Amino acid sequence: MSRFETHRRELLGPIHRFACLAVLVVLGCGVPADGGRLGELRGTPMHVPIPKPHLVFTDTEGRRFDLRAQTEGYLTLVFFGYTHCPDVCPIQMATLGAAFRELSPELRSRIKVVFVSTDPERDTPERLRKWLDAYDGTFVGLRGPIEEINEALSSMMLPGIAMLPGGSHDEPLIGHPAAVLAFDADGLARIRYGFGVRRSDWSHDLPLLASP
Amino acid sequence: MPAIQWWCFAQQEAWSWTWRPLLGVWIVIALLAWAYRRLLAGLALGNEPEPVRRWRNVSFASALFLLWASLDWPLGPLGASYLASVHMIQFLAVGVASPALLLLALPRAAFDVLPRWPAVLGVIEAVTQPLAAFFIFNIAMTVSHWPGVVDMLMPTQAGSFLIDLIWFTAGLVFWWPLIAPVPNRAGFHPLGKIAYMALNAFLIHPPFAMMIFSEHPIYLIYELAPPVGKDPLHDQQLAAAIMKIGLAWIMFVAVIVVFQRWRRSDAAGA
Repeated sequence: MSRFETHRRELLGPIHRFACLAVLVVLGCGVPADGGRLGELRGTPMHVPIPKPHLVFTDTEGRRFDLRAQTEGYLTLVFFGYTHCPDVCPIQMATLGAAFRELSPELRSRIKVVFVSTDPERDTPERLRKWLDAYDGTFVGLRGPIEEINEALSSMMLPGIAMLPGGSHDEPLIGHPAAVLAFDADGLARIRYGFGVRRSDWSHDLPLLASP
Repeated sequence: MPAIQWWCFAQQEAWSWTWRPLLGVWIVIALLAWAYRRLLAGLALGNEPEPVRRWRNVSFASALFLLWASLDWPLGPLGASYLASVHMIQFLAVGVASPALLLLALPRAAFDVLPRWPAVLGVIEAVTQPLAAFFIFNIAMTVSHWPGVVDMLMPTQAGSFLIDLIWFTAGLVFWWPLIAPVPNRAGFHPLGKIAYMALNAFLIHPPFAMMIFSEHPIYLIYELAPPVGKDPLHDQQLAAAIMKIGLAWIMFVAVIVVFQRWRRSDAAGA
């Protein structure tokens, strides 16, 4: 699917959401459990909230990082990708990073952005840190075994990692989920941001998501 | 061997410095060169002074070079897919500078044959009436830079070609009343010409305002393009600056030329 098609789907999102909501109201299901906040957001709501995966990996400083414990109480945006990625990862991170830097320091302090490398062999801690610093110095970079990453992806109902042959310089391409999952302070993800989400979308949604 | 394309368009591939051929650009350039040669061959230009002939050739070669350099690789693909600032350089080349140079490259005799086709002359007279030309150029400029239009047309070769064609045609329409001697617009005083150009230099077009004042990137294709090292918002602001400053400079040069000619003709008249 092209990025333009993806965006068209994103544009159709509000119409789709409205249609779903209308059906739910007709069926007597009432408003969503979050009091309707999801309806204001530009991401794609998930019908079944997904719990934050149990991941204990190593960050770019070589320290142990327990995803659940160390992001508890924060809005946590989790993305799985790799630094050699030619398109989706740099675009997603650049878009998110630019919107993140626009937020007030107070809002930023309520958000953790975690980038889990799907290519831990080539993504050395130094390379990962340097790459993330280009978007924001506070973004957390994690490395861990592929098997555990795949388990975590599976628990979040996301497709696993796939090695694809041949990039532009004969470097392998790695298939990975293109969406950023937004976990609320309660540890549940109710919304995700697929490829095609724009800076203006993040700027609109992040304050809503991070507000207490 | 890289895949041959007709025209550059917005793609989702990461940028690569690997050369790729753009067949349509070469064909358009070759057709223009062939048409110009044929036109000159059909005109009696035997008594044309050498400096005039040389100037025409330089003007035509410059127009072709600007068209080729801005549409072919690498500027073509960079502007179509990755950088709004390069897209704006293309606009200045395709839609402003090269139409002026092409019209300047035409000998007077080429315009004199136009009355042979009254229907064509009628259309030209209508669209190149200064006020009409001013509106046509500025509406074309506004529409062809409107985010929804750019995002809709640039992802296809035909759409991207259409934008370039709109720019070029609008540029010809804009410059025609200033450069072309047919139809004779004796009433278009040099002061009017200067005002016509100055107004264009200072006019704030809506896309310029959007690009410079928007807090976020306005073009989807450039925002979601594989990055080439420039933040899309900064690139967009640079594009706005190129649009405004570039257009103002071209108009400034043209104003000086018109003013000098006016001064010379006044001196000769006196």
